[in-house]
Amino acid sequence: MPENESRPAIETRGLSKSYRTGHVIQGRRAALQDLDLEVRRGEILGYVGPNGSGKTTTLKLLIGLLKPDRGEAFVLGDPAVSRSWRYRAGYLPEHPYLYDYLTPAEYLDYVGRLFGYPAAKRRERARELLALVGLERSANVPMRRFSKGMVQRAGLAQALVNDPELLILDEPMSGLDPIGRRLARRIIVDQHRAGKTVLFSTHILTDAETLCDRVAVLRGGRLLRVGPLGELLRLDVEHMDVLVAGLSEDGARLPDVDRVERVGDRLRLQVREAGLGRTIVGIESAGGRVLGVQPVRQTLEDYFMREMGGSAGGVGAWGEG
Amino acid sequence: MSRLVAVAANTFRETVRERVLYNLVLFALVMTLSGLLLGQLSIRQDEKIIKDIGLAAMELFGTLIAVFIGTGLVSKEIERRSLFPLLAKPLSRGELFLGKFAGLAFTLLVNVAVMTAGLFLTLLATAGRADALLLAAIVPIYLGLLLVVAFAMLFSSLTSSTLAAVFTVGIAVAGRFTDMVRNLSEVAPAAPRWLGPALYAALPNFANFDLKDRVAYGDPVPATVLVWIAVYALAWIGIVLGLGLAAFRTRDFQ
Repeated sequence: MPENESRPAIETRGLSKSYRTGHVIQGRRAALQDLDLEVRRGEILGYVGPNGSGKTTTLKLLIGLLKPDRGEAFVLGDPAVSRSWRYRAGYLPEHPYLYDYLTPAEYLDYVGRLFGYPAAKRRERARELLALVGLERSANVPMRRFSKGMVQRAGLAQALVNDPELLILDEPMSGLDPIGRRLARRIIVDQHRAGKTVLFSTHILTDAETLCDRVAVLRGGRLLRVGPLGELLRLDVEHMDVLVAGLSEDGARLPDVDRVERVGDRLRLQVREAGLGRTIVGIESAGGRVLGVQPVRQTLEDYFMREMGGSAGGVGAWGEG
Repeated sequence: MSRLVAVAANTFRETVRERVLYNLVLFALVMTLSGLLLGQLSIRQDEKIIKDIGLAAMELFGTLIAVFIGTGLVSKEIERRSLFPLLAKPLSRGELFLGKFAGLAFTLLVNVAVMTAGLFLTLLATAGRADALLLAAIVPIYLGLLLVVAFAMLFSSLTSSTLAAVFTVGIAVAGRFTDMVRNLSEVAPAAPRWLGPALYAALPNFANFDLKDRVAYGDPVPATVLVWIAVYALAWIGIVLGLGLAAFRTRDFQ
């Protein structure tokens, strides 16, 4: 195995970046500080953090759109500044703007030319990718007529032109409707199944939770934690949610029930796991019907709210998801 | 090289889809044709007037195209962030920058060719002949336009498209009045004495590309003059593009 192949897909050491602030009195604001991160080959790593935590800055440093103040980065074993890894990687920027005077077919053809593909291969690849992202019927429509979601789909397609080993996606679900989100998730999962590496940034925690092998959590430009979700979260059941009909709120206040919440004409009971059996018997004895039982575990959002609790620019920025 | 050609081809496609381009070329052709009317008002001067107006229109509208499309080419890419996905491909910043210059240079070549054809057709319709000597004025005009594009790309690598357009127009105008700039202390006595000569040395002399009067009067232009104009233009274009390239390669794209 060549030495580069044994190295992580992405590796950063002490990567730091600050931005200039102010015009008259100039200062600097640290956007990323001493980032040591490894993305293993074949994994999906979710890069999560609130707005302004340094996610996009990290990805731009990897791509070379920004120059680091200090530190180094390697992509697919090569220094991030080199050209060689770019033949084997794809990148989707946040809120991509693709040339609106071009059709998506023309844009993909242009991207194919940058990889040096012959015309027949470019045409074939454009057809495949437009079908994959559901834009085959808009292949020859100028992108100025596209909605934000359609541009995002075209952006995903351009990131896949070279069938990359590594996908770097900055907020890939941004601007997508539910169908588009499902499509983007399917593409990420399919890439993973094919052995590809995916690094994607998101502030939508459910996306990270459903897709990722590992999650890296960023706050204020610093890496807070990185690891499998199971390590980050307490995966044991916190309590059981029991959905009940035909019971009054007073009748539902049984010994193992910690909380009763009315949902329309039903009740949702928060029940301690050990007392589930006794509670169900109690509900049925009081004339109620159990409609559903669901174990509740800690979510990434719970973890994040706990970690970010009280920090400036932290919790408040997590509006979506 | 193939990537540079791909960028140039796409830039050409981008510019020919700009509506402003067609408006300007149309204006230039209308202005050339207006020489027909003016020519009828002056006795035996119609051919010279058509040449004067045709060449002036070519220079003026060519400069407007070079400034407005040239500044938009790079700064719009930066402001709209359309270069982000491209720079993740195996495409260097240098290839992108020079490819854009090559694409716009080709667009200007096509425009100048269309305007030249319009001028020749007007002359054929009036004087019954198209004067090939006009090319001796048109080639320097084209070289001057390339230099304007190089400045537009330099400034748009450093600042916003609006400021880049202002600075480029400033250079193009000041470069046509370099003699006045050299004698700045006579025009503005309060200015430091060194300022005029310094600005004169720092600015390209766009008057060097102006052979319009000479050609309109039918004076022959020796080949050596054209060669020197080409060398002068290429040297300036090389310097300005080099500075633009250095700025484009080192800047952050936030």
